Amino acid sequence: MIFVIDNDFLMAKCVKCAVKKLDKEARIFSDAIDAMDGLGDELPEMIFLEILLTGPDGFTLLNELVSYSDTARIPIVIVSTIDFSQVDLSNYGVVGVLNKETMMPEEIQDYVKKYAK
Amino acid sequence: MREVSGILVAAHDLKAPLTTIRQLALALDGMDEEGEGIRTEMVNVSERALRQVNDLVKLPQLEEGLFKMEPVAIRAVCDDVLEELVGLFDFDRQNFKVRYQNRSRLVTANKELLSSVIYNFLSNAIHYSSGRKTRTELLVGERAGKIRVEIRDFGPALPIKIWREMKDGFIAEPKSIAMRPGSSGLGLYIASKFAKYMDAKVGAVRHRDGTSFFVELAISKQMSLWGLE
Repeated sequence: MIFVIDNDFLMAKCVKCAVKKLDKEARIFSDAIDAMDGLGDELPEMIFLEILLTGPDGFTLLNELVSYSDTARIPIVIVSTIDFSQVDLSNYGVVGVLNKETMMPEEIQDYVKKYAK
Repeated sequence: MREVSGILVAAHDLKAPLTTIRQLALALDGMDEEGEGIRTEMVNVSERALRQVNDLVKLPQLEEGLFKMEPVAIRAVCDDVLEELVGLFDFDRQNFKVRYQNRSRLVTANKELLSSVIYNFLSNAIHYSSGRKTRTELLVGERAGKIRVEIRDFGPALPIKIWREMKDGFIAEPKSIAMRPGSSGLGLYIASKFAKYMDAKVGAVRHRDGTSFFVELAISKQMSLWGLE
C-alpha cells in the first residue's frame, strides 16, 4: 500500500493512477490528520507527500513520522510546486522530490519500483 | 507595485489548474493515434502556459534584484531553448534556419531571464511556422560591441504602435496584439522587463512579410581577460 497525501484531489488521483499502473494499491488522504489516522490502520510501503496541506502542513507530518521508529523508516517522496530540490530533507526520510509542474508519470513509477516493497 | 502584486496573485492562481491539466493529460493513455495527438497537445499547451505564468511570477523578483548577472554562453542558451521548443511544437526543422555569426561567445546576462526572452521570441515565431511552409530564422550576430539575437518570423506584420514602443527598447504595459492572433503582448512585455533588468535592449524590425524580434546584450569581457574565450 502506498499513501498519497495531497489536498488537491485531482493531482492525488494522477499520482494514484501512475502507481496503480504498476499493480500497486494507493490510498489518498487530503490532510495530515487523516493520514495519521490511516497510519494507525496500516503502515504504507512509501508516501507521496505534498507539503502545502490544509491544517497541519507536510513538515508537521514529517516531524511526526520521524518521532516513531516504525514510521521513521517509511520512504517519502515530496510532490510539490515549491522547489525543494536544493533542500536536504533526508533526515526526515525523504528519498526524493518531484516538481508537480514538470514531473512525468514515469518518474513517480521509478520511485515506486525503487522504494515500494 | 499594486499592479505587479495583482499579476502575481493571478499567476499563482493560474499555475495550479495548469499543472493539474498537464498531469491529467499525462495520465490518459491507451488511446488511438488521434487521441494521442490531442493528449500531447494538451500537455504542450499547458507547459507553454506554465512557462509564461512562471515568468510572471519572476516580475516582482526583478525589483528585489534576485537574479545574478554573470557571463553566459549565448549559443548554449539558444541551443537549449531550441531543443525545448522542438518537443513542444510540430514543426519541420527544414524550415528552421539557425546561424551563429558571433565571434564573442559570452554575454553579460542572467541565464534564466535570457532563456525566457529567447523562448518567448522563438515560440512566437514558431507558432507562425507550425503546420505551414513558412520559415523561421534565428540569427546570433555582433554589432557595435553587442551580441544581437534576432528571430525572424513570417507571420502578420507587427502593428506600428507596438513597433514604435519597441524602438524605445521597452514596453510600458501589456497590450493585446490584434493583428497577430495567438501571439501575446504579455510575452513581449515580460521580455522587455527581463531585458531591462539585464541592461539589454529588445526591439523589432517590421518586414513586408513578417517581423524580426531581437535582443541586444553586452559582451562579457570577464573570461577574455584569462584568454579563455
